[in-house]
Amino acid sequence: MTPNPLALIAEITHRCPLHCVYCSNPLQMMGTESELPTGEWIRVFRDAAHLGILHVHLTGGEPLARSDLEALVGAAHSAGLYTNLITSGVGLSETRLGSLVDAGLDHIQLSFQDSREQSANWIAGAKAHAHKVALAETIRRFRIAFTVNLVVHRQNLDHLGEMIAFAEQLQPDRLEIAHAQYYGWALKNRDTLMPTRRQLENCLRSVGQAQERLSGRMRIDCVVPDYYARYPKACMGGWGRSIMLINPGGEVLPCHGAGVIPGMQFDNVREHPLDWIWQDSAAFQRFRGEQWMPEPCRSCDRRTLDFGGCRCQAFLLTGEASVTDPVCTLAPSHHLVESLQLETDEEKRPEDVVWSYRMNPAQERRHVNSSPRHLDPSRQ
Amino acid sequence: MPAPLESSRPRLATGCRWGKDGEDRVVLFPEGMIRLQGTGQSVLELCDGQHTLEQIVETLSKRYSADTAKIREDVATFLEALQQKRVVDY
Repeated sequence: MTPNPLALIAEITHRCPLHCVYCSNPLQMMGTESELPTGEWIRVFRDAAHLGILHVHLTGGEPLARSDLEALVGAAHSAGLYTNLITSGVGLSETRLGSLVDAGLDHIQLSFQDSREQSANWIAGAKAHAHKVALAETIRRFRIAFTVNLVVHRQNLDHLGEMIAFAEQLQPDRLEIAHAQYYGWALKNRDTLMPTRRQLENCLRSVGQAQERLSGRMRIDCVVPDYYARYPKACMGGWGRSIMLINPGGEVLPCHGAGVIPGMQFDNVREHPLDWIWQDSAAFQRFRGEQWMPEPCRSCDRRTLDFGGCRCQAFLLTGEASVTDPVCTLAPSHHLVESLQLETDEEKRPEDVVWSYRMNPAQERRHVNSSPRHLDPSRQ
Repeated sequence: MPAPLESSRPRLATGCRWGKDGEDRVVLFPEGMIRLQGTGQSVLELCDGQHTLEQIVETLSKRYSADTAKIREDVATFLEALQQKRVVDY
């Protein structure tokens, strides 16, 4: 029997005032006109709670870009869901934060691009850093759980110690040190984002020391960037096992990246009940369980721990979605990851960095003439 | 953070609250949930920010007719572990 999902990632919009180079949103995004209306989301939250979901993570894009966010938080809370807002903070006044807390918001996760203002604004492609610092102080005035999310990569890892000290001053309950993962825009920028092995080793040491020093005051979570791991991550806790994602247009996906896999079709909450999509739709069945697994996964003891790793990563690196994740040292295609590690040993200086900033759906529409595919918001 | 004192008034930490997973009562927090059963649940249900550790221990030793010193030790260890996880404050 299919287990119940536990968490819903609700990507309520692709609009965002930031243009972070590590964004994991798909390259082709949905515009305002295709976003699910308020009433549909409210129905989805009720259905989600009914399915057994406990947490809803409101994300985007920037969720604050939706003027009905207070109503969405209120509806999720009334449905009994634990509500988490994942935000850049841009567009959040003290008054609006107060309304969100009153509506039942449980937790806010505020992202930072760096501890140094100039670098942070460079990575985000927007002048947002000073506002975020001021907002962190405002958040502490409310009785709400607060996580600082620090996205780390080759361009900022050399001063991780400084970044941890910076985060500490913001006084969150929890610090998440998130290594950029190479999907969407981050994949385009992988050459400039992937850390060197030396950076990774220093990172693990700094994080370990900080965890010990701050124990009981600020919890620090950090996951090893998986190109350097020995075994792949249990992506999303396994395909269709505990998490579902609904994109701005209402399509339900097993993960952020699944749209890159050729032949995937996602059913929409406008057309099908959520429980049917979770249990029976083709997208959720495709890599659920062990039937799809090739060797060495099929006979591997770790198949119940990492579920064969990440399907999107397998596709992006090998062109085949149903092979063992190349990150795994047991994978026949592991040499692909090893060569990326070798290429990364060469140091590049920040002034040499050329990267692609994440664009907005609206900006994409301006390019319609040069690329007709952008006319269709549902393409993947 | 040291272990709780007799006069501490433990409570669920900010951002942690009770919820339901089917028929089970669970504690929800930002990155997941804890399903507690039996005595663990009894202890946490008494952590309402009103009762002191001394009162919680007294209530539990009556309920389970067990040795007070042993209960105090177990409860303090339990709460300290949950404080480290940022689920409980005192």
